[in-house]
Amino acid sequence: MSEKTFPFLKFHRALPSEVPVPVRVLGFAEIHAGFANGDGTDQAARCLDCGNPYCSWACPLHNRIPQWLKLVQAGRIEDAAALMHETNPLPEICGRVCPQDRLCEGDCTLEEGFGAVTIGAIERWVTDEAIKRGWRPAVLAPKTDKRVAIVGAGPAGLAAADRLVRSGVAVDVFDRHEEIGGLLTFGIPPFKLDKAVVRQRREVLEGLGVHFALGVEVGRDVPFPSLLDGYDAVFIATGAYTSTDGRLPGQTLPGVHAALPFLIANVRRLLGTERPGETLPDLAGQRVVVLGGGDTAMDCVRTSIRLGAAQVSCVYRRDEANMPGSRREVKYAKDEGVVFRFNRQPLEIVGGGRASGVRVVETRLVTDGSGRARPEAVPGSEEVLPADVVILAFGFQPSPPSWCAQFGIETDASGRLRVGGTGRLPLQTSNPKIYAGGDTVRGADLVVRAVHDGREAAGSMLRQFGLPAA
Amino acid sequence: MTPGCPPRLYDSAFERDSCGFGLIASIDGRASTWLVDQAFSALAKMSHRGGVNADGVTGDGSGILLHRPEAWLCGLAADAGIALAARFAAGLVFLPHDAARAAAAEATLAACVAAEGLAVAGWRDVPLADEPCGPLGLAHRPAIRQIFVDAPEALAEPAFERALFRARRRAEQALCDEADFYVVSLSATDIGYKSMSAPGRLREVFADLQRTDLAACAAVFHQRFSTNTRPNWQLAQPFRLLAHNGEINTIQANRAWTLARAAKYRSPLVDFSDLGPLVSTGGSDSQSLDNMLEVLLAGGLDLLTAMRILVPPAWGAREDIDEDLEAFYEYYALHSEPWDGPAGLVMCDARYAACTLDRNGLRPARWAQSDDGHLIIASEAGLWDVPPERTVAKGRLGPGEMLAVDLVEHRLLDGPAIDAINRARAPFKQWLREEVIYLESYLIDPGLAAEPFAPDVLARFQHLFALTREERDVVLKSLAESEAEATGSMGDDTPIAVLSQMSRPLYEYFRQAFAQVTNPPIDPLRERLVMSLVTQIGREGNVFELSRHNARQLLLNSPILSQRKLRQILALPEFLGQQRQIDLYFGAGETLEQALHRLCAEAEAAVRDGAVLLLLSDRYPQPGLTPVHALLATGAIHAHLVRMQLRCDCNLLVETGSARDPHHFACLIGFGATAVYPYLAYQTLFDMNRRGELKGREGEPLSEIGRSYRRGIRKGLLKILSKMGISTIAGYRGAQLFEIVGLDPAVVELCFPGTPARIGGAGFADLERELRVQARAAETPSRWLLPGGLLKAVPDGEYHMYNPAVIGALQAAVRTGDESLYRRYAEAVNGRPPSALRDLLVLRPAAAPLPLAKVEPADSVLKRFDSAGMSLGALSPEAHEALAIAMNRLGARSNSGEGGEDPARYGTERMSKIKQVASGRFGVTPAYLVNAEVLQIKIAQGAKPGEGGQLPGHKVNGLIARLRYAKPGIGLISPPPHHDIYSIEDLAELIHDLREANPKALISVKLVSHAGVGTIAAGVVKAGADLITVSGHDGGTGASPITSIRYAGTPWELGLAETHQTLVYNGLRQRVILQTDGGLKTGLDVVKAAILGADSFGFGTAPMVALGCKYLRICHLNSCATGVATQHEVLRQKHFLGLPDMVVNFFRFVAEEVREHLAALGVTSLAEVVGRTELLEHLPGITPKQQVLDVSALLDSARPASGGDFRCAGALVAGPSALALRIEQDTAAAVASRRGGVFRYPVSNVDRAIGARLSGAVARRHGDQGMADEPIVLELDGTAGQSFGAWNAGGVHLVLTGEANDGVGKGMAGGRIVIRPPARLRCPTQHTPILGNTCLYGATGGELYAAGRAGERFAVRNSGALAVVEGVGDHGCEYMTGGVVVVLGRSGLNFGAGMTGGFAYVLDLERDFVDRYNHELVDIHRISLEGMENHLQHLRTLLRAHIEHTGSAWAERLLGDFRDVLHKIWLVKPKAASLDALAEELRRAA
Repeated sequence: MSEKTFPFLKFHRALPSEVPVPVRVLGFAEIHAGFANGDGTDQAARCLDCGNPYCSWACPLHNRIPQWLKLVQAGRIEDAAALMHETNPLPEICGRVCPQDRLCEGDCTLEEGFGAVTIGAIERWVTDEAIKRGWRPAVLAPKTDKRVAIVGAGPAGLAAADRLVRSGVAVDVFDRHEEIGGLLTFGIPPFKLDKAVVRQRREVLEGLGVHFALGVEVGRDVPFPSLLDGYDAVFIATGAYTSTDGRLPGQTLPGVHAALPFLIANVRRLLGTERPGETLPDLAGQRVVVLGGGDTAMDCVRTSIRLGAAQVSCVYRRDEANMPGSRREVKYAKDEGVVFRFNRQPLEIVGGGRASGVRVVETRLVTDGSGRARPEAVPGSEEVLPADVVILAFGFQPSPPSWCAQFGIETDASGRLRVGGTGRLPLQTSNPKIYAGGDTVRGADLVVRAVHDGREAAGSMLRQFGLPAA
Repeated sequence: MTPGCPPRLYDSAFERDSCGFGLIASIDGRASTWLVDQAFSALAKMSHRGGVNADGVTGDGSGILLHRPEAWLCGLAADAGIALAARFAAGLVFLPHDAARAAAAEATLAACVAAEGLAVAGWRDVPLADEPCGPLGLAHRPAIRQIFVDAPEALAEPAFERALFRARRRAEQALCDEADFYVVSLSATDIGYKSMSAPGRLREVFADLQRTDLAACAAVFHQRFSTNTRPNWQLAQPFRLLAHNGEINTIQANRAWTLARAAKYRSPLVDFSDLGPLVSTGGSDSQSLDNMLEVLLAGGLDLLTAMRILVPPAWGAREDIDEDLEAFYEYYALHSEPWDGPAGLVMCDARYAACTLDRNGLRPARWAQSDDGHLIIASEAGLWDVPPERTVAKGRLGPGEMLAVDLVEHRLLDGPAIDAINRARAPFKQWLREEVIYLESYLIDPGLAAEPFAPDVLARFQHLFALTREERDVVLKSLAESEAEATGSMGDDTPIAVLSQMSRPLYEYFRQAFAQVTNPPIDPLRERLVMSLVTQIGREGNVFELSRHNARQLLLNSPILSQRKLRQILALPEFLGQQRQIDLYFGAGETLEQALHRLCAEAEAAVRDGAVLLLLSDRYPQPGLTPVHALLATGAIHAHLVRMQLRCDCNLLVETGSARDPHHFACLIGFGATAVYPYLAYQTLFDMNRRGELKGREGEPLSEIGRSYRRGIRKGLLKILSKMGISTIAGYRGAQLFEIVGLDPAVVELCFPGTPARIGGAGFADLERELRVQARAAETPSRWLLPGGLLKAVPDGEYHMYNPAVIGALQAAVRTGDESLYRRYAEAVNGRPPSALRDLLVLRPAAAPLPLAKVEPADSVLKRFDSAGMSLGALSPEAHEALAIAMNRLGARSNSGEGGEDPARYGTERMSKIKQVASGRFGVTPAYLVNAEVLQIKIAQGAKPGEGGQLPGHKVNGLIARLRYAKPGIGLISPPPHHDIYSIEDLAELIHDLREANPKALISVKLVSHAGVGTIAAGVVKAGADLITVSGHDGGTGASPITSIRYAGTPWELGLAETHQTLVYNGLRQRVILQTDGGLKTGLDVVKAAILGADSFGFGTAPMVALGCKYLRICHLNSCATGVATQHEVLRQKHFLGLPDMVVNFFRFVAEEVREHLAALGVTSLAEVVGRTELLEHLPGITPKQQVLDVSALLDSARPASGGDFRCAGALVAGPSALALRIEQDTAAAVASRRGGVFRYPVSNVDRAIGARLSGAVARRHGDQGMADEPIVLELDGTAGQSFGAWNAGGVHLVLTGEANDGVGKGMAGGRIVIRPPARLRCPTQHTPILGNTCLYGATGGELYAAGRAGERFAVRNSGALAVVEGVGDHGCEYMTGGVVVVLGRSGLNFGAGMTGGFAYVLDLERDFVDRYNHELVDIHRISLEGMENHLQHLRTLLRAHIEHTGSAWAERLLGDFRDVLHKIWLVKPKAASLDALAEELRRAA
């Protein structure tokens, strides 16, 4: 047989070209272009089409990856986009922000010894390209008389909106922010996800008939009961905006910032929608220390670099292998000049009147056989890392709307809404008319899982309405 | 010695038999005692073709049919004081021992005789001897009496015969409840004697036969080999007219259609209406054929016509056939279907003694004529005592040929003479020309585009019939694009349909039947000429009525209709007003079952109303209505119409959306559909094409989708037919050749009556629920298609037992050696949702478990583990060797698979202890055979039973080519059948041949689970096997059509339990080691298999996964990224990470898990649980369908009374022939000291595989060619038995003066075989057979010179031998991959089919070779005087060598005339080999 069966040997794994570091750190543009002509097709051709599609299994959405790679290979961009949308209402976004190295690409058969298929990049390129060509997701069913209100226009809310509207259900989405996307817009820095992409998705959804009520906070601007009365079901997807409190001495000092407000302020600055009291610290020439090892921490260090910080370091209490953040993001951060200090536990933010450093102690990892390795302080290894600005990125907790209890929606101890279980549909809360998903339910988690929840919640609502599930 | 009541998985209907047969006749009609003596002596010389029972003595039965031994009969009557009329009949009657019952039976028979106007002249007791019967034969011997019947004066013989026929049939009907009543024969012209005695001792049983006045002018005789051991004297042969060697593959269709047609059989000569079923529906296939022949003769046809109708040659594809003769066959084919399958038949009636062979020539028949007018025909040459100088002619019957002696006109009728008689019976050609209707066919079928569905309509239909995206993109797409089924690899690891938690298509409950051992599958590609899908439509006529009206039929070349064809048929004036559309829908007010009854009634009414065409259609859905599955409707309506005797008055056209892949069509046709119109498949493909999703050649969109799709389906259908050894769709239609797994008896009874279905399952309510859900889903159509997930593990699709989690867990465990990780894996497997039958069975822990230390050690468990056969070719050498090393280190055994083995591995840790012998015989040499502990004959493999394989050229690299004796880059074909196993006695022969080569090895036979496998296994044990493997359907494969992976074979639990139960029941279980394989993954699987009857366990996929296989299912592409299943250099070297230790870890883990389960069961060893089904408990399952499954038949306890070791008694081995042993002793010193010598012996046909023992000894000491320069010469005189010179090693030279039988030089690796006729024989060598069929099968080297003709399939799969013969039968040089064959005489049809290497020189005096060779892979060239000097020289050298060795006068003549002869010789070579390359090779060799 010809080389036809061996493209994975012929073509090496290749991502679309990357903007060189000196250029990209000057601004907030995405660091990858799309695939050059034909490259994406060649990359798609590397797929082995395994009998066991490990990629699909590893994907929280169970995307039909081998199947659409085959379509891409055949140059059937629109068909591929349609198939992507079958399982994923937001493929161009997942293609950009998913930690593929831990999900689909991490489990790709070719990962061992060859380099995984560039699934994320293809997903992103194909969706962008199809939308650019004028392709739009198909409406799947005629209009019905059902109406759903969605609280929160983040990934979960958008995913649910897509499924519902395409199934003939009228959808109003409420969000307190001035733009849709939630964290997609305000949390994730533009160099990972260009805000034009979110805006594009907004146009797509609006084209399908989704109505967005933005800058509207349910419970403040709109009473929740009016949603309960005016709609057949309500989906709550208000995210996880409450920062985890590290309880570090000195964390209230000036010069110490919480990650999310910092990121949001930056986005608003770029969007031109800054608000008073939310001003971004001036990092030019500053020494910035970011505490934490997750993706938010990576967002913060890379944003800081772009804001002109003189030195940016990331302090994390475990080693590199145990970081929760995506390998890919760590690599980019390193490329862009971030200094990583692994095995350092922050003890205190020091400074008189203003933060001037972080006192840390060295750690080593111990395993007791159960669960993740635990950091243990090495006695006598304390030191102070000098810092002008300290950003806390320890994670986030759900921010359940205050009115939950009032409408019989149960939450758990950490404030996560309880869904599912016996007698309930998946993602249905203890109030049968109310569904919830995404970080509100999970705590801070991946975008792709929020999308999953939105999709599944929509499915449950359709079932409740007696409509065929999409 | 055996329990009385048969176990539930055993059914006597599964029994098969085969044998040796013969006929001797005096053409002049002179009765003689000499002739009778010859018959008995010939019968004695065929003992090795018969089977022996569990007692080791009693044979399976033998018999003789004597023609007009009147004087002797009169003598018998006179001695008994019976006075006979001038015209009388005599017959033997088997009776119950109980005197009262016997008397009643006699009285009934007498009454029936009287009712026909005849009179019983008297009865006599037949004296019998006990000892020759053998213990079992004696125990089951009926009382035997002889009846004499007088004809009234003036009653002519034919009328007397008819009256006797009616009397006997009426008596049989009246006494159908008296199982012990049986009339051996009752005729005025012929009388049969038969018995179950030790083979060869028939005559000793009956004193009558020893009388000196016994003289006859013709005799038919038969030695039986049956798969069963339940002794039954009635099934011994000959029957009343014929004896049969082989098997009627179409028997179920033949029986069913004969019943359906009963009302059509009307003859003015005899009234059939009150005779009950015209053919037996039980008993043997041969018996039914005998019944049918009797009916045709009684109705007025003569034997020559009747036999040619019943077992016709392959007239359809022959271009050289006479038109009138073709018309004769075609005319009768309109009203009958062939009794098809391997068949050598000898028969005798009042007028003729005859022999005929099936269309494929799968049984041997050799004849000889003496100068005093005697003709003998038998399965073997060398049976009679006529010296060569008195033999005037010899021959063999070819495929579809017939030879007869006219006992009245005293003429020998050869084929052309018989044809001349037949074609002149009526103006068949004219009738056909004037009456038969053919549809106008168009090159391009634009009809498809005529009525395309709108997208939403299409979507609705796709949901209504659950068409998945996977099916569309893989199955349909491939059929349309490549005109062939998609190929897949690995096994089917999804739950069987009834266990699935999803709703699976009804077709998936049906498992295709396939031929194994007792009959061969056919190669539908390379032997296309015997296959036919021709389908006729119209009302059937009466076969006894010769009339032009009978020819008024519509003929289609295939039962797969295009839209245009269907419309054309419906619009034909002939059928206007005679057609009825029956909509396959039902509403809310009706159950599915009620709907089916209604549809049956509608169909019946329509036919009674005159409808000839019934269009069963689901093409017109209505809101709120649910479709009745077309298969349910077709099966039910067909069965109903058969019962009502209306089926032959109509045709069932099925218009359905449910039929998409070839299996679907096979199901519909197999359950009675005449033709099928798959509209949804067309519509879906049309839609795909419209959207540019289908690629034609060079990437263009397809323009003739429908035609391409139909071609793909036709190919697939032919494959399914051929898998069962069936050649024509007529023999498949209504034959129900399936096993149903998972349908309720009520469903089977109504829709598929008589089809094996042994575990119950989904009932009407379950099916109805699923159909209704589907119908509801179709109401809102604009959703995407269901994903499918049957082929690949889609997360939201069907469950897969080797899903990513299981693979990951297993690999983690074996790489780390961490037992806790193994436990995680074992839990994932053992705790999965019920997916295999064993998952519904749970171990019953003992009240008092044993401490683990008391259980046998892991090492002793490990001895029972084998790796399953996986060839080097499918696997990379690295993976193959890692597996061998691991198994050897464990004290277990690895299996070489069918690709040969590098001799460098012999005697090292890398050697496979099990060497496989498969149909391709790749690399099977004597050295290969002696370097083995087990020789496994692979009859079938789980992933594609009944099919051959193909190793694509891109996988044949240097190493593979060397080991397989082939050329790199050229594809290799494994034929579907072993060409030396067409029936059970052939298997016995191969086992014998292998044992001769390696007397120390255990001989193993690998079968695949299907209803009846147990009975086949019983036959295999009787054939002498030491070990039997029963594989499940789920076994893996390197490459196989997807429908084969998914629809053939059944779960091993069924096959294993059936086999174990049947062997115990037959008293044979102690003689064999029973193994199972198919998806075994954990220790729990092993313990359950042991309880169901296995002593030993085979693992295929699991150790592969341990070595790194990730179940990618791309083995067939050679691009396995884990380096396991590829020959790609980079992938093997850089990406194969497997180590023997990983496999070692896996098996140790499994063995330890086995020990834990044994401890929990309270037993100390695996041996103790074998067959102890009380240790298993039935779980209810988790779905409604699972809950109604009845697996209790699996749990029928089957332990022999003795208990204990199941293999204490040893194999049923007859032992080597005395001659072979003598040769071994005489040559021992010469072999040991590696010096040659000359030895001389007489030889006879009972000396089989002569030379093999010596070759084995040579190869063991010196390798395949170690004695080539110091040859041992055996000079032999006489007729050699089968397999002469098998596995011949270099340095073994056999020089035979006389002749030889089938299988000469099979597996020959070196040395020389010379066969020349005795000097006194006067027959011209170029017209006289000197060797039998399938000679040089799988030869890899050596030379053969034979001064005479060879039989069918000469040099099949030859890959290196040089041969000169003076003529060959059909299919010469089939699948040849190397070597040189010179044919100095006429060759048969289909020369060079599948030939990819080597070349041949063929003499073509008649100048018709162009029509006789297969054009697919070879081309032919004249040898010109210029430019081809190499060939010219080569040929001259070969001729000289031939003359030197054989002294052939014919070759002398050719050489003398060489320049002229050269113009009549063709060089036949593979198209892939260039003339220049061949010339170059010759130059190098010179």
